[in-house]
Amino acid sequence: MLGSRPTRVRSELSPSQTKKKDWQHSSLGSLIADPLVLWPPRPSGGLGTGSTELGLNRPRPELLEPSRPLQPGRSQPKTLRGMDEERRGTWFGFGFCGFGQALGSGLGRQVHSPEPVRMPGGSVDVCRVSASWSYTAFVTRGGRVQLSGAAGGAADGYTDACASEELLVLLRAGPGAGAELQAWAPGSALRGEPLWSHAVQEAEHGPNRDETQAGLLPLLPCARAYVSPRPSFYRPLAPTLRARRLELGAEHALLLDAAGQVFSWGSGRHGQLGHGTLEPEPEPRLLEALQGLRMAEVAAGGWHSVCLSETGDIYIWGWNESGQLALPTKSLAEDGKTTAGEASGLDEDGSEVKRVSAGEDGAPAPFIAVQPFPALLDLSPGSEAVKVSCGSRHTAVLTRTGELYTWGWGKYGQLGHKDTTTLDRPCRVEYFVDKQLQVRTVSCGPWNTYVYAVEKEKS
Amino acid sequence: MAGPSALWEALQALLPRTKEELKLELGEKVEGSVVMLLQEAAELFHGGQRRKCLQTCEVLLDYSWEKLNTGPWQHVDKDWRRVYAFGCLLKAVCLCEPPGDAASVAAALKACDMGLLMGAAILGDILLKVAAVLQKHLLSGKRPAPGPSQELPGTKKARNDHMPIPDVMTERTVPRLHCPSLQYFKKHFLVPGRPVILEGVANHWPCMKKWRASCVPSGFSPVEQPKDIGYLAQHQLFDQIPELKQDISIPDYCCLGDGEEEEITINAWFGPQGTVSPLHQDPQQNFLAQVMGRKYIRLYSPQESEALYPHDTHLLHNTSQVDVENPDLEKFPRFAEAPFLSCVLSPGEVLFIPAKHWHYVRALDLSFSVSFWWS
Repeated sequence: MLGSRPTRVRSELSPSQTKKKDWQHSSLGSLIADPLVLWPPRPSGGLGTGSTELGLNRPRPELLEPSRPLQPGRSQPKTLRGMDEERRGTWFGFGFCGFGQALGSGLGRQVHSPEPVRMPGGSVDVCRVSASWSYTAFVTRGGRVQLSGAAGGAADGYTDACASEELLVLLRAGPGAGAELQAWAPGSALRGEPLWSHAVQEAEHGPNRDETQAGLLPLLPCARAYVSPRPSFYRPLAPTLRARRLELGAEHALLLDAAGQVFSWGSGRHGQLGHGTLEPEPEPRLLEALQGLRMAEVAAGGWHSVCLSETGDIYIWGWNESGQLALPTKSLAEDGKTTAGEASGLDEDGSEVKRVSAGEDGAPAPFIAVQPFPALLDLSPGSEAVKVSCGSRHTAVLTRTGELYTWGWGKYGQLGHKDTTTLDRPCRVEYFVDKQLQVRTVSCGPWNTYVYAVEKEKS
Repeated sequence: MAGPSALWEALQALLPRTKEELKLELGEKVEGSVVMLLQEAAELFHGGQRRKCLQTCEVLLDYSWEKLNTGPWQHVDKDWRRVYAFGCLLKAVCLCEPPGDAASVAAALKACDMGLLMGAAILGDILLKVAAVLQKHLLSGKRPAPGPSQELPGTKKARNDHMPIPDVMTERTVPRLHCPSLQYFKKHFLVPGRPVILEGVANHWPCMKKWRASCVPSGFSPVEQPKDIGYLAQHQLFDQIPELKQDISIPDYCCLGDGEEEEITINAWFGPQGTVSPLHQDPQQNFLAQVMGRKYIRLYSPQESEALYPHDTHLLHNTSQVDVENPDLEKFPRFAEAPFLSCVLSPGEVLFIPAKHWHYVRALDLSFSVSFWWS
């Protein structure tokens, strides 16, 4: 059962096609067809080194890529070279900014359409953005960390930042003995002393040696440990894992290794681990369903997980309560707004049409609350996904051609479609297309989205 | 019907007089940023800025909701539930600002309900009082009819479907048997009054395949039901739609009783995910057959009755005062120690609930069950 190649979900979404081992959906919709496997769960005691004690606001710094597209199979080039063409790029933001964090014009608590980020000193130099719920941390190429929102302050000499409500983790630049991991209370405004600090070694060996030292938090450059916003803060990783990227959800963790394999651990109550059950995993466990496929990126939302293959396919699993998996969701189905498999929109007279997508026999369409097994997602024909980032309940994916697609919870405008609609299917953010901009990187906070885009090359 | 301003005054009378009293004492778990928002909400409320207060409440509710959904329910810090309740309170009151219409008041009541279900008691159980005022106001005027749902404690409003699936493995489970003989069942369960789940007894009923395949028993359509469907206990269902009788059969074990087959009461129970039947007992033996969806069920022996704090009144003496999955242990201290059995009842399974055995039920999915009361 486990280990079989996941099938394409969207084209097969029909109540009559439920098979016993069809993990993707059932005629009842809410969980998977075979309750015997899911219930009762194993005793969940003894979860080991606090691996379920993960913070809500996942640190998500984004590595800025040069505008040359990534070739499959090559490791990511160092960011600090060839940046000249990037100077014409701009950071944009949209979504929740109720604490005054820099996110566009900053007027009011929400921004529904992308706006250029306005911050002291300008945003041109920013190469990393890590957004927590009530504040955002910006890191510039010059090594300055700037906080904006409920937490303020700035300091120099850092290469990476990882923001969460409980803790702000910074990576102090080397060389050698100078390299240090620091954890600050967000309210400290970076004055005084950090709560704790830890010497770190540079990535001389291991899977990340071709990459820059920074941009990996919460994974440390040596890949031997990661940082959690909750105790125990410093968490070792087995060296055999050869971790390349690590992302934290509200209750789970995802790890991408040098061979392109994905591991997950933590709580599985919402299917976010992807092993086909709702059971927790105390230690990193390989996602067998993805074996044989090399993954290039992983991202963790609050209770969902996404990874991208080297060939640009999207695999997604976990909780779908707001359509963050781009699968039909019950809440939208009840309002008649689920659009899975059908076009949606306004009628000629501008009224919003209620459409309940129906199965073949006219019965109400199945909906999916939890997807505990990776599902393959079609963005649009021929598109290749190259970057992904998740908020607590929304997802953003960037294609090779520089288009940005978002879906999931939209109440605070974090999808960027000029409204607050929650969507259970991917929609392109038209702003960038209209302005002839190519999106180069995306970084989501829990309820907002930051995007870096450059002007399209004139042909 | 009492006008909107009368309602508003009634609500104001329930709230603390001063802005300073409209606050919560919270521990370290609640971050400073949230404390800021709570203060801002109280300020906006007292400053008469209802619309902005509502916006701040939404943020508080959305953030605390995420905390409520992080980790097992029993580990959720009570402070987050209190934050959630606070947001519900201010939201509910703000929605009733004159000139309020029936829809706003209904929305306010819904906000109270959510606060009562998911939140924790604050400001002297203020949500209960506010809900009572709103209910009274709505009843005295027009009220959107939810259909045949009963108001008796035997039927309940739905808990938010974001409540997690209970960890049954850490609780003592109801034993399961596959097609026991009549004698075995009688000797080990019927006579001593012990619950048991019978497998292989109802899983061949035609309804198990038929009804699940189409998602609904014929005659129902969940899409057409109003949202606040309540819990439809259709006593007459099988009389009204006799064709359905062919899809079920009375369990053989009923012949062990004293009564006649015609005296067996068959009820159909249909309700959405989250539907809760509060802890109560029935005078007869009960076979509960699950057709669609799963139910979390907890069972307490009649010997534990005192620890379950039944209501004093004769009308409700078969109903416990305790909210099983969210007990007020200060008010009902003995409840914590009362032993129980629990299970998740899945389609095709039949649960034997001995007469007078206390039982609590929560639907984990859209659920359809058939119960047989016999003696």
